Amino acid sequence: MSSSTSSSDNMAGSRRIWLRIFLTIVVGMSIAIGAVGLFVSSMGAGSQSLLGRVLQAQDAIPQIAAEESDLVMVFGSSMVEAAFSPREFDRSIADAGGDVKSFNFGFGGLNPLFQDYVARRIAENLKASDRRLELVLIEFNPFQTTKTRRSRAVALEEAYIALLASPAELWQILLDDPERGLRMLEIRYLRDGISAEASTTFFWAEPFRAPRGALDSAIQEEEGVEEKLNEVLEQLGPKFEEEYPDYDGSDWYYPWQGGGTIKAERAEDTLALFDQYYALTQTDYQMTIDRLSRIETADIEELDFDPELLEAFVRVVENFKQVADHVEIIMLPKNTDWIKNSPAALARQAEAIQRMEDATGVPVRNFQQIDAITIDMFGDTTHLNRYYGAAAFTAFLANEYAALLQ
Amino acid sequence: MLFNTPIFFVFFVVFLGIYGLILVQKRPRLYFILVASLVFYGAWNYRFIPLLVGSSVIDYYLALAIGAATTQARKKWLLTASVAMNLGILGLFKYADFALTSVADFLQVFGVEASLPTLSWVLPVGISFYTFQSLSYTIDVYRGDMQPRKGLVHFTTALAFFPQLVAGPILRAREILPQFHSLPVPTWEGARHGFLLVTSGLIKKTAADLLAIPAAVLFDADGPVSLLETWTGVLAFAGQIYGDFAGYTDMAIGLALIVGFKIPPNFRLPYFAISPVDFWRRWHISLSSWLRDYLYISMGGRNQRYRNVMITMLLGGLWHGAAWTFVVWGAFHGVIITATHYLSSLGPFAGFVDSKSRLLTVLKWAITFYLVLVGWVLFRATSINSALDIIANMHTFGGLPASGPVAMKIAIATLVTVALMHLQDWFVITRGEAFENKKWVFWPVLILLQGLCLMIGEPSSEFIYFQF
Repeated sequence: MSSSTSSSDNMAGSRRIWLRIFLTIVVGMSIAIGAVGLFVSSMGAGSQSLLGRVLQAQDAIPQIAAEESDLVMVFGSSMVEAAFSPREFDRSIADAGGDVKSFNFGFGGLNPLFQDYVARRIAENLKASDRRLELVLIEFNPFQTTKTRRSRAVALEEAYIALLASPAELWQILLDDPERGLRMLEIRYLRDGISAEASTTFFWAEPFRAPRGALDSAIQEEEGVEEKLNEVLEQLGPKFEEEYPDYDGSDWYYPWQGGGTIKAERAEDTLALFDQYYALTQTDYQMTIDRLSRIETADIEELDFDPELLEAFVRVVENFKQVADHVEIIMLPKNTDWIKNSPAALARQAEAIQRMEDATGVPVRNFQQIDAITIDMFGDTTHLNRYYGAAAFTAFLANEYAALLQ
Repeated sequence: MLFNTPIFFVFFVVFLGIYGLILVQKRPRLYFILVASLVFYGAWNYRFIPLLVGSSVIDYYLALAIGAATTQARKKWLLTASVAMNLGILGLFKYADFALTSVADFLQVFGVEASLPTLSWVLPVGISFYTFQSLSYTIDVYRGDMQPRKGLVHFTTALAFFPQLVAGPILRAREILPQFHSLPVPTWEGARHGFLLVTSGLIKKTAADLLAIPAAVLFDADGPVSLLETWTGVLAFAGQIYGDFAGYTDMAIGLALIVGFKIPPNFRLPYFAISPVDFWRRWHISLSSWLRDYLYISMGGRNQRYRNVMITMLLGGLWHGAAWTFVVWGAFHGVIITATHYLSSLGPFAGFVDSKSRLLTVLKWAITFYLVLVGWVLFRATSINSALDIIANMHTFGGLPASGPVAMKIAIATLVTVALMHLQDWFVITRGEAFENKKWVFWPVLILLQGLCLMIGEPSSEFIYFQF
């Protein structure tokens, strides 16, 4: 009798211990994950800081679909973000007798692997709204499809895909590779996009990052440039607030159709400040370190292409073909004073272009060297500046496509 | 299914949930551990489950037959069968291609072009660990160190037990098999210590992932690397491999404790060693003691000591991987252990080796750590030539750091990280129990550290020791 009682007491005791252990694990880990989430969001990190512009643009698609005018989209990298001014484009087309509403879908930091997911979401949303694009211009950016460029994004690859994939795609990833799928579900639903790799990048990596251009220690900035630049920036901030009191801080701002500010809206003295700003940011020092940084992070001159990224780019085009009446692939102006490709790199680029044209059936229009763009219209070694470069390139595009859009 | 991934967390929570429901039923619990362990193993590659189960079934019956054999000759024959099977499996999967390419390279030296076919088989994860573990059982039974125990499921479950299956420690049957017969239930004290070890292991693994970056700057460099970055890279790799392997082992021991099983420690502050011999008493203890008990002693131990040490260390090096760099690493350790033994037999050096003076202890520690670092270069380098270049660079001043002004910061951070890993382990070993009793500090600190680990990540997060 007593032995049976003691045995059942032992069993009850063991069960209590097991329950305590079980709850410790579940509750302890929940607290740890919750604490990480709170800390990360209190530091301003999250899906919006990682991919805010992309997510905001995606959210805007139902509103875009409801526009009455014909729809035009320019899709690509940060070079598109800098180079295309939708409102100026629409005005130019209107002057030529057309009625379009164009949108800037240029996003920095996305290689074609990620662009593929964005393009899928755009296509899905437009299909759901039963709306088609009249024209889509898809930028092919050579240095965004290199092996080097991809290797630099590996740490954030899962975080980006976790945020850009649809629930169905995440489910499929979970079925194909449960380990990866579960990690991505955790990133998306428990960590708001901030994977361990992303938080390391945000919080820990900065003090150990070599300064841009550190490889070339011979380069020195002229004295006083940094101070002057800070002075100009200090004046530009308040100017912006004065001139755009309604701006809500979005990375992708609907009233600007995803583009930026335009020259016609800025005061004369503001534009004069911008002239100073452009001059101060294009010193030999600034341009040299920018070039070195592009070589280091994107292999911009030698262009060793990543075949998977090229395939992903083909998928981007195929996604848009489903929802656009006219699909064009374009290459944006290149700063030939600073970026000089070797003959071998140019041959690789020609081969990549040929492969994409064959795969998509869409010819690539190369606008890398056009008369409308001069070297002084660049803000750095790759991007056009806003008030000269973007304005000129947008006018160029409007001229190129006016006949189609009338 | 790495211990530091969400999928393992889900696996373990589900495992523990079901385990608790059948806690009072011994046989279902045993079967459940086996099934869960096979699921865990199958997550790597389910095709190798029959290999694991098959080799355990054969060894189980061979051990029974050895125990029942009436003649020494028959016992020997049965043991030979077990050794041949286990080493045959290991040789086929791990060393066949290495042997074939080495033969071809050797023939090429004499101008003979031999294009030998290679197998190119995938290496089953954990094979080096479970074959040695299984082998220790038949050898122990042969030597009469333990009696064979009936219970095929018990033996297979002990061999496949998921916390230690893929990267050890290499358990002896006499340590683990009785536990699977008695099937202990979890205790709160054991589980609490298990949580501490899991957290400690997770921190080391996380630190190891970060140290992989400066290590790669050196070992994966295309061109010359500065003196500072060379030493930083070597030190970083020393920290990386320690954090990676000791971290994994801590987690394995901790997880087993949470479930109620005791696994002996595999590391004891190895970088505090004051001689190469001492290092191997602290580093991967389960392997070094296995090699000592089943190889070194089998060859005669102290009789022909230097020869036996060299052979043991050469094979120990080869155990780590099918490449000449591992063989040379093993040989290097063989030489420094032999040299230690030799010097300690000489009058003037014996005094130095045995001295308890603080200054001499620090000097002995510095010499040992330096030798261990040189050894890690041989271990990590992609080729022997590359290793020799790096070792030469460690002793040559030249060139400025490629990463510029941050090189010194990285060097300091690396040094601090490696030191903190050992201080943490020292704390767990010496103060762990007292710390566990301070529950208002213990649990918040544990959760804080877990949270910290959730915030640190690095692209390559595979455990290095899985390849062995």
